[in-house]
Amino acid sequence: MSMTDGPTPLPTAAAAQAAVDREATTAGPGSSTAPGAGRFKSFGSKWNALSRQQQWAFLAIVVVLAYLLPILNPPIITTEPGNNFALACFDMARFALIAVGLNIVVGYAGLLDLGYVAFFAVGSYTAAMLTSPDSPFLHIPYLWTVPVAMAVAMFFGVVLGVPTLRLRGDYLAIVTLGFGEIVRILATIIPAMKGQVGFQNVGHPPGSEAGGTPIFSNSNGVPWYWLTLTIIIIVLLLVGNLERSRVGRAWIAIREDEDAAEIMGVPTFKYKVWAFAIGASVGGLSGALFAGQVGFVNNQRFDVQTSILFLAAVVLGGAGNKVGAIIGGALVSYIPLRFTAIADYKYLIFGVALVLIMIFRSQGLLPARQRLLAYGRQAYSRISGRTGGGATPRTGQVTGQEKEAGA
Amino acid sequence: MTLLELDSISVHYGRIQAIRDMSFSVEEGEIVSLIGANGAGKTTTMKTISGLLNPSSGAIRFLGQDITKMKAHIRVVHGISQAPEGRGIFPGMTVLENLDMGAFGRKDRSGMGADMERVFDLFPRLKERQKQLGGTMSGGEQQMLAIGRALMSNPKLLLLDEPSMGLAPQFIRQIFRIVTEINRQGTTVLLVEQNANQALARADRAFVLETGEITHSGTGKELLANPAIKEAYLGVG
Ligand SMILES: Nc1ncnc2c1ncn2[C@@H]1O[C@H](COP(=O)(O)OP(=O)(O)OP(=O)(O)O)[C@@H](O)[C@H]1O
Ligand SMILES: [Mg+2]
Repeated sequence: MSMTDGPTPLPTAAAAQAAVDREATTAGPGSSTAPGAGRFKSFGSKWNALSRQQQWAFLAIVVVLAYLLPILNPPIITTEPGNNFALACFDMARFALIAVGLNIVVGYAGLLDLGYVAFFAVGSYTAAMLTSPDSPFLHIPYLWTVPVAMAVAMFFGVVLGVPTLRLRGDYLAIVTLGFGEIVRILATIIPAMKGQVGFQNVGHPPGSEAGGTPIFSNSNGVPWYWLTLTIIIIVLLLVGNLERSRVGRAWIAIREDEDAAEIMGVPTFKYKVWAFAIGASVGGLSGALFAGQVGFVNNQRFDVQTSILFLAAVVLGGAGNKVGAIIGGALVSYIPLRFTAIADYKYLIFGVALVLIMIFRSQGLLPARQRLLAYGRQAYSRISGRTGGGATPRTGQVTGQEKEAGA
Repeated sequence: MTLLELDSISVHYGRIQAIRDMSFSVEEGEIVSLIGANGAGKTTTMKTISGLLNPSSGAIRFLGQDITKMKAHIRVVHGISQAPEGRGIFPGMTVLENLDMGAFGRKDRSGMGADMERVFDLFPRLKERQKQLGGTMSGGEQQMLAIGRALMSNPKLLLLDEPSMGLAPQFIRQIFRIVTEINRQGTTVLLVEQNANQALARADRAFVLETGEITHSGTGKELLANPAIKEAYLGVG
């Protein structure tokens, strides 16, 4: 049997080596060699050349700009008059969050999940059924449905993952594809889930303006966008820690060569289920946000195409790179909203874009190697720190994370 | 003392039987070679020992403990480490990251440093190429990396599946010298080889595998001198 079964979204070794070399030399701007990838390359090396403070300062500016985005409503970038820009921002943030979650499954652990929309649907229905007046179930405040939606989606992730994650590659893709459809079909045939009629008036976070209209209304995208953006930042911080931990290394090893990972001592099955479950919970989270903002959930929004669109976002951005996933997610949402004339052709356009990406930049816009590098530095300090001179300060920090993550 | 014991092991791929009722043991401190033609079942045997495959019947014991049902990732912790056939290194990870993965199951952080030193002493090339990606190393270098990575778990038993595959003659000699050195340092080695000459010359004991069954066994020297084996596996006769 082959040791390289299963999807391997990792860049070719040669391409990734370029990234290592770049890291090793911290080349200055303009030193990039490969045409087409030049701008990204020099950005990567510039970024690594910056001091920690400079990186933080840059990030702070990006975050502030991100929060201001719907208020600034910059000309040219704006999606108006076709689409309300604040709502478009929310949609971009929602897609970005979904891509971050799916990236854990597809990008880190290398598990091809074609039914991710199912977890999004589970989250949406959880929020709707626990808050909508159309639902006979018990009702709880909307914000409480968010962790509940995550937990329920995670539960489904484990239930689906345990039997299927023993399968490899193509089989997994087919089973997840089926699961995506099953959730939609169940929503259609189970009377309590109200099929196409759906649930109206899904809850939203508390608070109202002076006039009595709720702050988190369906037509006001800004608060929803801010809420989602804040959640994205929190999720990114958590995922970043996970990525640098023992769990993250195990995922990379599984993606690269599952059998080899297993005989290195990685409990591959357990870590695959973890990737699936964590990814599912992020999907559920974005589903709950979506249900709250739109205020209406029925069986029409969770089809296979949507799953493929999610996957396109991850691949476009660069599987295995969480920043890439955010950019990919935002783009996949933004382009049809901005260019409404071509919105009907979005599957065609993303299809072509994906083909072009595969031809010219198979690692996606931001390659995964950037993330692997963080691991490389750690491996270095962890091992060399002990064999060579004194332990580096980083070592202690890493061990701390490992204790948490390895538990 | 007996380190590893296979007790009438059979392995099936679906309905195809790859290993038939195989029994042999490896004593602590030995180099044991397993030779056989393509498709004889050598890799299957190794994967069954490392835990990647489950036998359909029979038992495997390691240091007297029954490990037949034990998962592969736990067997590493108990001291069984495999350098897989075709190397199986992580192509997108650097040399250092690969070696680090080799120590994934370990808790004793101090011992890891010492083993890293040991690997770099055995393979100075790896030390020079710490930051190179595994996938861009040459075939021989990847083999060194695969062996080095397997040593990072500080195994009691090292399983080497065709370490000489695809290597130039002087490289093959070097690899075998290093295998002997690893053994001299106290690691028991179970070696699968098509390169029967070297494998038998270096082995304390050896087995010949034909279509899933052991047909000959003896010391390395005995098998080297056996005319039937000479003809079939050593290209002379
Ligand atoms: N995954 C598999 N599915 C079905 N049959 C398999 C599988 N892997 C191996 N086999 C069969 O099992 C038998 C033993 O294979 P194995 O890989 O153990 O041989 P080998 O001795 O290692 O050969 P080589 O020297 O070519 O590596 C062969 O007949 C092979 O075709
Ligand atoms: Mg083989």
